[in-house]
Amino acid sequence: MRSREFGGFAAGMLVAGAVLWSFVTTDVELSRLLSAGPRIADFLGRMVPPDPTVMNEIVKGSAETLRIAILGSLGAVILSVPLGILASETIVSRAVFRPVRTLLAFIRAIPLILVAMLMVGAVGLGPLPGIIAVAFHATGMLAKFYAEAIDGVSREPIAALESAGAGPLAQLRYAIWPQMAPVVARDTIFRFELNLRESLILGVVGAGGIGFYIQTYVRSFQYDKAASVTLAVIAMVIAIEAINIVLRRRIA
Amino acid sequence: MSAAAQIDDLSFVHPGAELPALDHVSLSVPAGESTALLGPSGAGKTTLLALLDGRLRGWRGRVSALGAPLDPDHPPPRASRPDVGFVFQEFALVERSSVLRNVLNGRLGRMSPLRAVLGSPSPRDQEVARAALADCGIADLAERRVDSLSGGQRQRVAIARCLAQEPHLILADEPVSNLDPARAAEILTLLTGAARARGATVLFSSHQPDLARRFADRIVGMRDGRIAFDVAVGDLSDVTTADLYRETVAHPGIGLRAVT
Repeated sequence: MRSREFGGFAAGMLVAGAVLWSFVTTDVELSRLLSAGPRIADFLGRMVPPDPTVMNEIVKGSAETLRIAILGSLGAVILSVPLGILASETIVSRAVFRPVRTLLAFIRAIPLILVAMLMVGAVGLGPLPGIIAVAFHATGMLAKFYAEAIDGVSREPIAALESAGAGPLAQLRYAIWPQMAPVVARDTIFRFELNLRESLILGVVGAGGIGFYIQTYVRSFQYDKAASVTLAVIAMVIAIEAINIVLRRRIA
Repeated sequence: MSAAAQIDDLSFVHPGAELPALDHVSLSVPAGESTALLGPSGAGKTTLLALLDGRLRGWRGRVSALGAPLDPDHPPPRASRPDVGFVFQEFALVERSSVLRNVLNGRLGRMSPLRAVLGSPSPRDQEVARAALADCGIADLAERRVDSLSGGQRQRVAIARCLAQEPHLILADEPVSNLDPARAAEILTLLTGAARARGATVLFSSHQPDLARRFADRIVGMRDGRIAFDVAVGDLSDVTTADLYRETVAHPGIGLRAVT
């Protein structure tokens, strides 16, 4: 009990210290925030009304972002099937799944935007580096999910079918796959939602999609156009989430 | 009478265990009858049933099921596996599949491999599955998903799947341990009745002597991996089943003396 209290006290001091350190060493002038009032009002004022003439760019950019997310997700699924099997505790030995899981954790640790910047350097501007970056980045999570779907399959129904004389393919189809399919579908849709959200900003580093227009309009002070693009992004994210919720309910 | 299962000097130690789960067991299961394996938890009943189903490796002794000797090192040939049916204690159903699909799964070993993988049961497969559903009183549940069923309904599905594979020997591991007494009697009535109608032999395990006495033609008592007694129910008249059970638990061997 006593050591627990001390642990709580130490944790509190650590957090307070970290906050203080950040304030002292960062050039935060509260006066700047106060005097920024009129500037923020001016900035927001220039965003309304949003400029509707950029509709064409929005549609073009959104379609490209959607294509990046779809093809990037497809790439991630193709990579995740073999890697998921190799990361499964129940199919392969420890000597295989340990290093594969470490590799996946390593992939997950690299932010998407960083991968995208590297890919732009490697293959040039446009949607291609975005697709490669999404496929690479998403595999770190999706392969782990697939491995967990495999490991979550209960053995008893498989043993029952084997006892009834069913062959390996029939066991896969009627005992293993029915248990895995909903998990795989749910995780794949979830990852697709993340891919779409994350690829909205890929254009900022030149890797294609609607992010390019946000970047362009903000840099050229066309805030009313940037506002339109921002509204379109918000609408897309809400739409994806709504679709995902409906799909997940149907799979359950 | 011929034997549906013949066991001679069978011993088995679970991997990693010190004490044997089965210790020099010899037993003959008469064909066409219902035999109960009676004994407390850990007596070796489940192990013996799984072994007869061909699922355990590394045992010693001689075992044959339906006249075919089992190999301690290899699973039985797939073609012969449908002949021995198994009703699992925890049902072992595919929860997200329909009742009918689960019962058709019992037919997979009787279908051609192509039919099994393509999922196109023949009219006869469907007929057998429907008859099994009807016999188990769950024809109206055919399209329901198993994860929406009660425990008693699941047990009926598990039995229907076993019947659908048209076994000659039915092994049932504690088929009623999860049910209340009224349900338990219903389930054992339908299991032994369906088996008798099909001319199949039943070997079921239980720790409830009254149910064993009521539904079996023969009771085999087990304790600590050994056969404690083996007696026809007709010879039990001067001993109450409660006494029998108590003696089985407390002093293996005395029960046997008391009834012979």
